[in-house]
Amino acid sequence: MTTLSRIDAASLASTSEAAGEPTWLAERRQLAARRFGDQAWPDSHTDEFWRSTPFDVRFDVERELAAAEGGGLPPEGVLAGVEGGGVQVTIVDGALTSVVQHPAAEAAGVVVTDLRTAATDHAALVEAHLGRLTTTTEGGTGSDEDRTITLNDAAWTGGVFLHVPAEVELDVPISVHVHVTAAGAHLPRVLAVVGHHARATLYLEHTSVDGVSALVDEVAELIVEDGAQLRLATLQDWGSGVEHLALQKAEVHRDARVLALAFTTGGTTVRLRPEFDLVGPGAEVRPLGIYMASEGQWFDLQPYVRHIAPRASSDVLFKGALQGESRTVFRGNVFVHRDAVGTATDENNRSLILTDGARADATPFLEIECSDITAGHGSATGQIDARHLYYLQARGIDRDTALRMIVTGYFTEILDEADLPGVSDRALAVIERRIAAADLSAVQVNDLNLREEGEA
Amino acid sequence: MADLEIRDLTVEADGNEILRGVTLDLDRGRTIALMGPNGSGKSTLAYAIAGHPAYEITGGTMTWEGTELNELSPDERARLGVFLAMQYPTEIPGVSVTNFLRTSLNAVRGEDVPVREFMTGLKEEMAALEVDQSFLQRSVNEGFSGGEKKRFEILQMAMLKPALAVLDETDSGLDVDALRIVSEGVDRLRSPELGVLIITHYTRILRYIRPDEVHVMFEGRIAASGGPELADELEAEGYERLKSSV
Repeated sequence: MTTLSRIDAASLASTSEAAGEPTWLAERRQLAARRFGDQAWPDSHTDEFWRSTPFDVRFDVERELAAAEGGGLPPEGVLAGVEGGGVQVTIVDGALTSVVQHPAAEAAGVVVTDLRTAATDHAALVEAHLGRLTTTTEGGTGSDEDRTITLNDAAWTGGVFLHVPAEVELDVPISVHVHVTAAGAHLPRVLAVVGHHARATLYLEHTSVDGVSALVDEVAELIVEDGAQLRLATLQDWGSGVEHLALQKAEVHRDARVLALAFTTGGTTVRLRPEFDLVGPGAEVRPLGIYMASEGQWFDLQPYVRHIAPRASSDVLFKGALQGESRTVFRGNVFVHRDAVGTATDENNRSLILTDGARADATPFLEIECSDITAGHGSATGQIDARHLYYLQARGIDRDTALRMIVTGYFTEILDEADLPGVSDRALAVIERRIAAADLSAVQVNDLNLREEGEA
Repeated sequence: MADLEIRDLTVEADGNEILRGVTLDLDRGRTIALMGPNGSGKSTLAYAIAGHPAYEITGGTMTWEGTELNELSPDERARLGVFLAMQYPTEIPGVSVTNFLRTSLNAVRGEDVPVREFMTGLKEEMAALEVDQSFLQRSVNEGFSGGEKKRFEILQMAMLKPALAVLDETDSGLDVDALRIVSEGVDRLRSPELGVLIITHYTRILRYIRPDEVHVMFEGRIAASGGPELADELEAEGYERLKSSV
């Protein structure tokens, strides 16, 4: 085995051949491998998007691809809490280990399969879309300027292909559960196509055996065609030791709607890029985020909304809480193309600093070429409001319980809005677990506004 | 010894002395009105009793049934039966009214109240206070009108059944109908077990809740004390006479 840095066209060609990949796929990997050879790993001194997170410190790329054999079963996923269940795809240590269809999905013709198999069995769709959102083309908005994305383009292993055919309104969620038990590098890939006027709910779940040192470099491409609706949740519930790089890129067509919730609480370092290209008029996206960082964790969250078409709307809201020596970066990017008249965009970030030593950075970044739009942004970093704490305590609720209620309530707003089956309960359980593990006696409150004006 | 016994209490906020030696007794079963002009220190006394962290006790004592309140956190006081209906109830995003009330009731009672019993009691009290059922799904005080907030304070009082209720300008900002509903709500809760301290600038709430005693605060001290007739005098003559007599 070779480490990631040494991946080259020759080694990939033999892997493609051994796996029986179709020629077009093998060629795409070759092209990506050549780009990979020409690129360098991100440099936080020179790369604008990496300025806030030192790549060489937080990510170790001198790793071998994790061995796909062995591997235990992942813990219970979100679907366990969904009445009637859903479609469950499981990827363990870079290999797709199981696909459990759901009768409703199967009857509606929903395709859920290994991406390699799909490259042959569903060649038309997969060839048309795989790598299209990552690869920069004329007028396109690729992400392959970043070597971590090219790496996945070239060498992805465990992959899944999902297709919800046009006009199929699938109410049961589809969950892709990526689980890591083996040390090393993992390169999962997801391609989902939601046909025109279809409806789907997709969960990307991430767990690992606590303490296993791994790099997970993940790419999900999501095509949401005209009038379709996608509800997406990505849950980063990693154990310690995981470094996660994720690009989750949705292409949103005419009058299509996407609601996306990024829930990040686990892992050592998570750099998440929830990206949305609004390519059809009237497209609408609501990217939501929740993050809770504790001692030693570093989360870099970079939602990116590109308004390419007119009259599309986007409204980003990320809320986080930090404790211990932890660090979060929110860089909210919005691009409005010169043709995107009538764009409505807003983005907001709020961070709650629970204890001393945590640091939250927020940078809204707007690049606007069109004047006929409405755009807003805001960010706030603060502490728990002492007035909230006092009010609950004045009703007999002890300080620790009151703090738990306030932090949970802070996130409930987002979970209630997302209203994703199974996700709210799972997220609340994780939030409560994280708060229970925290040293609440160290929580600082903001008592600046403790007295109302004019009181005596 | 009175159930609530306040002796020579001095209190500071932001380094300013606001209470300059307050002495007051209140027994369960009795209702006291504490009146006074704005800035006289009425609300400060309310907050001091309820343990608000912005108010520092610098002297004197304050006991409830023999326990020194000043040594207790706000939640410990509440669990002893002290309740403050706040002048400016706080909005707490994401914490539902139901969850809040249930957690609070369990804390004050020191045991988990069965859900069914809790909901039955809550719905009865809500009906009595003409509080809409849709409140249950809302976050605590969030988006409530001024009148709804005050009603919600009294709903909490009804649920928690305190031994000492301090109503801090509960009547302020209420129109006549809301004042009647809130006042009748409080009046209904009066019992030999409950001591009530009504803090108000105006006498109108006292038409619904007849106090046993009236005390008037001025510049951080009790400047006059008397029966209900004192309130009527103040209504007729205002606080001006008081100022000139001090």
